[in-house]
Amino acid sequence: MADFRALESVNKRKTFYLLFFMAVLVWSISYVAITFFGGTGAGVIPLAVLITLISVWGSYFASDKLVLKMTRAKVIRYEDNPNLFNVVNEVVIASGLPMPKVAIVNDPAPNAFATGRNPENALIAFTTGLLESMDRDELQGVTAHEMAHVANRDTLVSAVAATTAGIIALISDILMRMLWFGGGRSRSHQNQMPIFLAIIPLILAPIAATLLKSAISRRRESLADATAVSFTRNPAGLRSALEVLARDNTVVQARSSAVAHFYIESPLDASAASKLFATHPPIQERIETLRKLEANPLS
Amino acid sequence: MDITVIALALILFLVVFAIIQYNKLIRLNIQVDEGFSQIEVQLKRRADLIPNLVETVKGYATQEREVFERVVQARAASTTASTLPAVAAADGALTNALRGLLAVAEAYPDLKSSTNFLQLQEELATTENKVSFARQFYNDTVRSLNTAVKTIPSSLFVGLAKVGEREFYEVDDPAVRNAPNVKF
Repeated sequence: MADFRALESVNKRKTFYLLFFMAVLVWSISYVAITFFGGTGAGVIPLAVLITLISVWGSYFASDKLVLKMTRAKVIRYEDNPNLFNVVNEVVIASGLPMPKVAIVNDPAPNAFATGRNPENALIAFTTGLLESMDRDELQGVTAHEMAHVANRDTLVSAVAATTAGIIALISDILMRMLWFGGGRSRSHQNQMPIFLAIIPLILAPIAATLLKSAISRRRESLADATAVSFTRNPAGLRSALEVLARDNTVVQARSSAVAHFYIESPLDASAASKLFATHPPIQERIETLRKLEANPLS
Repeated sequence: MDITVIALALILFLVVFAIIQYNKLIRLNIQVDEGFSQIEVQLKRRADLIPNLVETVKGYATQEREVFERVVQARAASTTASTLPAVAAADGALTNALRGLLAVAEAYPDLKSSTNFLQLQEELATTENKVSFARQFYNDTVRSLNTAVKTIPSSLFVGLAKVGEREFYEVDDPAVRNAPNVKF
């Protein structure tokens, strides 16, 4: 399956399965809430949904402006960096997408990210460190990866994942508190199951949701690599860019886990998160996949 | 009573289905047109760059008359071509001629290091990439249109939408097709 079209469909299918598991998880936690907590449990669900929807979708609609603030990126114009704009323009033509806003983050660590709620409001940003350490082909590969996030609407996908994970976390959290304070036991409810049985799903569900959210993020990264190759038909450019990133040990200064999934390479220390919680697939694995694409003369 | 409801629902379903398929074909056809005009825009950009480039190289490499003539002729041919095969052929010829011109530049260190030439080189590099990406995007849109024209159910509405298969944009030079990234 060493061609980018097959890789794209595999990753899309797997994202779908993961989102489906997320939905099953939301359903299960709601079931637990209603079974063990009766009417109060049922009341918690719409509350959790509402709070999460407001917080996540607020940041989804303002994603371009919000991320600009959080990463201290500055939007630039053609005159500020004609070469970069030329490269972005090339990828825009290859992708058939509208021209995004281009921004620069003043940071020596090489990295890049894309955001925006839809292709019309897209923004892609590069750190100064990335612009200094990459040649034209590598820069084109990175740009294609970021434009691939825009094309695949990954801001939307991650907002959906964050919403479901948030709902699960909030329901579990509220119910756990109710459990400690004994408020959950509805006296009118007969034939109640022993309430301590609820503790296990309440502890496990948020962990499972976080794992699923990370798995979705990793899928979208692999998908963006494959889509990037469909734009440039040049896996070598992105591969050698990833090798530059792998060799580099500096980490982004204005980093936070809130924006980690935006970057082309995880801005967090590799040791900080285990593989299962990682937002990005291991960079060596991504390089290997691109090498396989290079070996295939069709792609 | 029940039968009429079912029949009406069925008719409504069929009408909506037909509209969706019809619109899909029309949309794909428009995308192909847009793809082709993008190629023409980029070819025009490249043609506009050439006089400047030739003048710059001429200043340093006076005796390479033959190379200049080939570029100028290829450029003239590319600006007059209008049908798709003619545009594609002229495009291929000009790409080849330009490659010859840049090879000449390699032999003149003064030229290679002049800021004017470096700037033109970047302009030409990005334009070559844009041309080849525009070709690639066009061919992808043709691929989706031709698939829709040939596969059921959209193929059933080809007559209604008056849309047919379109030609791929083929450049004769195989090196051009395989290498979208021109290195200088």
